[in-house]
Amino acid sequence: MSHKRKKRKGSENVELNLAAMLDMAFQLLAFFILTFKPSPIEGQINLKLPPPLPVAGAPGGQKAGNNDQNKNAVQSFESLVISVFSKPNGGISTMAIGEANVAGVSALEGRLKAVLSDANSPFKQVIIQVASRLKYAELMRVVDVCTRQTLPTGEKLTKLSFVELPTE
Amino acid sequence: MSGSMNSEASAEPNLTPMLDLVFQLITFFMLVTNFKAASLDLNLKLPVVGSARPLETEGEDLLILNIDSVGKLNVYGVTQNVERYIKAEAKVSRSAAKRLNPNFKADDDLPTTIVVRADKQTPFNLLNVVIKTCQDNGFRKFALKAMNKEDG
Repeated sequence: MSHKRKKRKGSENVELNLAAMLDMAFQLLAFFILTFKPSPIEGQINLKLPPPLPVAGAPGGQKAGNNDQNKNAVQSFESLVISVFSKPNGGISTMAIGEANVAGVSALEGRLKAVLSDANSPFKQVIIQVASRLKYAELMRVVDVCTRQTLPTGEKLTKLSFVELPTE
Repeated sequence: MSGSMNSEASAEPNLTPMLDLVFQLITFFMLVTNFKAASLDLNLKLPVVGSARPLETEGEDLLILNIDSVGKLNVYGVTQNVERYIKAEAKVSRSAAKRLNPNFKADDDLPTTIVVRADKQTPFNLLNVVIKTCQDNGFRKFALKAMNKEDG
């Protein structure tokens, strides 16, 4: 039995051609650099916006004038109404909570806090009546004040509705 | 003068460290690239509201509406008809909700959150058209976008 001996010429040097891989890597790099656009860090205010409901009505769908003996008072629907009127340039001119005028956004915050911190406060949602020309930036100042309020139940006020006031 | 040029000196640079570096860069850009940003109209100037905070919306179904100062709705850079676009999106959202929850009724509130990115100069009447159309189509959850500080 003959025994062939393998000649060891020394370990063969396998060299990978990295140039092609580098080309591809540069292509990828160029793509990512060109498409890279750091997005701005934006905040948000989360709201639940049900369609606006009437602020008062007869309980149980009763109609006015049906029954002379009916002495039931008109029932309020637990909505606090804030009205925001605008200047011609879209800024806030006057504001009101219900019928009472409020001097500005900071005064609105104080008034809202006072109304909503009352344990007997019936309000669960806010209806904001907004002048049609009011700018979004100004509206957001009012929304910001509203969403910072806490209801007597301890939950944050997030239920808002918007109603557009007719142009003056 | 006799000189044999049998073997030309070959200067091959070692490409391995360069390749390493390039892969590091690729990894970095892959991680920081956010393709969702394509849906944002970065020309809009959002209002500044101190209490607006970035919230975790991972996994939530969002519909981003970019509204410019003249009330145009821009989606991925294309101006869309408000009524038609929102109606179509509501249909998609409703069928997705039905797939996930067989008890979902046609008049239930849609689970999709409408992300309103409106320009700070947009008058309320134009913005209200979009909000009202969303409400009429069953959307109830809204997120109003704002910056929490003025751009530098």
